[in-house]
Amino acid sequence: MGHFITSKDIPADGEHIEKGKLSRPIMVCGVVALVGLIASACLLFIGNDAQNEAADTVAGRYAYSWLFAFAFFVSLPLGSAFWLLLHHVSNSGWGISVRRLMENLACVFPWLGILAIPFLFPQVQQHLFEWMNIHRGLEGVGIYGSAKEALHSSPDPHHVNHLLYLKHFYMNLPFWLCRMIGYFLILGGCLLYLRKLSVAQDNDPNPGIERLKTARRRTSWMLPIFAITVTFLAFDLLKALDYKWFSTMYGVYFFAGCALNGMALLILTTICLRRAGYMQNIMSPEHHHIMGKLTFAFVVFWAYVSFSQFFLIWYANITEETSYFILRNTGNWNIANIALVFGHFALPFLFLIRSDVKKKPGLMIPITIYLFVLHALDHYIIVAPERGPSLTHGGSLFSGGSVVWLDLLAFVTVGAFFAFIFLRSLTKFSLYPHRDPRIIESANLFN
Amino acid sequence: MTAKRVYGYLAEFKSASALYKAAEKVRDAGHKKWDCYSPYPIHGLDKAMGMKKSILPYLVFFGGTLGIITAFCLAYTTQVVLYPTIVQAKPANIFTTAAFFPIMFELTILFSGFTTLFGLLALMGLPRLNHPLFESRQFARATDDGFFIAIEARDPRFSSEETKSLLEDAGGANIELVEEPTD
Repeated sequence: MGHFITSKDIPADGEHIEKGKLSRPIMVCGVVALVGLIASACLLFIGNDAQNEAADTVAGRYAYSWLFAFAFFVSLPLGSAFWLLLHHVSNSGWGISVRRLMENLACVFPWLGILAIPFLFPQVQQHLFEWMNIHRGLEGVGIYGSAKEALHSSPDPHHVNHLLYLKHFYMNLPFWLCRMIGYFLILGGCLLYLRKLSVAQDNDPNPGIERLKTARRRTSWMLPIFAITVTFLAFDLLKALDYKWFSTMYGVYFFAGCALNGMALLILTTICLRRAGYMQNIMSPEHHHIMGKLTFAFVVFWAYVSFSQFFLIWYANITEETSYFILRNTGNWNIANIALVFGHFALPFLFLIRSDVKKKPGLMIPITIYLFVLHALDHYIIVAPERGPSLTHGGSLFSGGSVVWLDLLAFVTVGAFFAFIFLRSLTKFSLYPHRDPRIIESANLFN
Repeated sequence: MTAKRVYGYLAEFKSASALYKAAEKVRDAGHKKWDCYSPYPIHGLDKAMGMKKSILPYLVFFGGTLGIITAFCLAYTTQVVLYPTIVQAKPANIFTTAAFFPIMFELTILFSGFTTLFGLLALMGLPRLNHPLFESRQFARATDDGFFIAIEARDPRFSSEETKSLLEDAGGANIELVEEPTD
């Protein structure tokens, strides 16, 4: 630890990334995202009419690629939003130095709503969500109508419609549409508001504690909004791929991955910024130690939640619950699933168990990247195994044709869009809230 | 009259910060066999004393590893090898391991907990019935409002004059040569 950091060490106008320093990567990301988006729109919508039936076409396969990429990248800002809200609501002081980065990262979330637009179209939905096809196949439902009466009165040889009838209060098309829009507008609005509040402090000539108190008071009800959003976003986009399947732990499972990788991305960003010469006074290995500990905790939490979900379903052996794991343990998916046990839990656990590893940036860079790779594998196993059986109507485990390129294209497109928004927001504001009343406390953190 | 043996010098300090600064001086003088006594934990005192990191985490890690291996062997031998238990057509082979995870988790925690407790006691030399410093009357205040440093005579740099003057320079008061009865 160096000398005690005082307000003299913190520039009065904060630290900004020089203009033009990031313009090239931002432009590259923007161009890649734009080209990818155009290509994706063509793949998803050209020659793909709404038939209310999944078909093993390029558009059908690409819909799953898009969902996989979207789910992966939406989990990062959601995780960061969790840490931001928690930091405010628990009145923490340690993370003021990195709070602006949390805010910038979390504020990518409302922008990602743009990439969720394809999911609102029946052309894309028909390949992903079977329950929507059943709803729309009934008389008088239309594109976004209610199917309650039609489900009740239609002939129902497999008792499928009765299940959907009972779930109609939640699983109906108009409500689904409202939810999808609501997630991004409401939680996105909350996050943008928090950043606005924090940035307003930067330019205040007489900064006080009022904004901190406001943020603390308001995050106490934003945190439940976050919990509802993350849970039901996972239900609506991922769990609904198989509408017959039940798992009450699913929301927590998704959240565990979010919080883990949101923190990992935060660590990676701070290391990169510090290597580029920023945030030298304001951060110390103590911050990395805390963030590393939180990452470690969520490595364990992810394992705990995902194993609990598997274990209860495996033990109880109830038909409507086991389908998820039977599908993911058939064929070679089994290898990927077992790889998660060791790769997503055992190895990171051993990597991160030592305290000095958490303080060494040179070691944390490969570890965080490794965590992203395993998180991508985790989300791939959530989404991709549904593709074959859904598109071929149970005919085969895998869809015909190669899907690797489609998955890569979707991943790169969404990733470039994510990086574009995130890097742009980094250059706009000071890198940390330099007029926050507790910035000195955070800079001199010792734990 | 009973024979006595010198245990070392005991010095009192006014406050926690005085103790902290004195500890740094004693550390820099190169003493090894000495200790600080205070009524409450003082942040950073271990650094001021120049203490090395404890080896306890390694003991606990190996205790935990031993626990997980023990649990796996126990469950696997009994449930798969000796007496295969088939429940609801679930396999009785290596893929049954998922059912053993709770046991493996629990024994890992149990063994780690035991290693922590007993490793800690062993490293601290506890339990012990008496301590030579209890001979000093003023030392009773270490549990109330006294801050003390004791430098043992076993220390290779101990000498009756220099150690005393070192403690005096560091701001110690009531410096006392503590002697313990040998029989």
